[in-house]
Amino acid sequence: MAGQPLYILLCSGEREKLQIAAMMASVGAVSERPVELFVSMNAILAFGKDAPAEVRESGGTFARVLKEKRAPDAFTLLRQGRELGDLKLWACSMALDLLGWEMERLVDKLFDGPLGLTKFLSDAESGQLVTL
Amino acid sequence: MAERHKVDARGAFCPGPLMELIATLRHSQIGDEVEVWSTDKGSATDIPEWVKKVRHELVSVNQGNGYWSIVVRKAK
Repeated sequence: MAGQPLYILLCSGEREKLQIAAMMASVGAVSERPVELFVSMNAILAFGKDAPAEVRESGGTFARVLKEKRAPDAFTLLRQGRELGDLKLWACSMALDLLGWEMERLVDKLFDGPLGLTKFLSDAESGQLVTL
Repeated sequence: MAERHKVDARGAFCPGPLMELIATLRHSQIGDEVEVWSTDKGSATDIPEWVKKVRHELVSVNQGNGYWSIVVRKAK
């Protein structure tokens, strides 16, 4: 039986928050909870196909430790979550508009598509919403 | 006949051992067992909790030689 859906609103581009968002999304999805991750603001920059390392690895102490210890990156975890569970990823349509980006600018085969905040928030009323 | 699969996830960080277990269970038959070796401290509690939630069977949890051995039977 599916658990309460989990909705994650990821705004921060810091590596630590990308990591915990990916961990929550993937573990939730494989634990029979439908999960939707909405990526907006600075976070969308880290999902850029050509994002430089300084963008994806920005942050504090744990950004450095995660890199030094070679922890699996957020994209690997999210792909596992999608493969093994019910996980959807949405790119904030406003963030894409502001950057002048199309979906093709984002990492391949990770997103289900662009989505507006209004639709995401409306859907999130059916479950638990976490903002990072 | 039920088989025992082994997953050596020592050195993998959370949630790596759990993900490797799930990937192995996915390709196993009902009744098969998967033995996960993990050095991640959280695995000893996280994996049993996941097993309970998704209704597989926890066979054993043991610690020794610097790692945990957790055995799960595929129940569905």
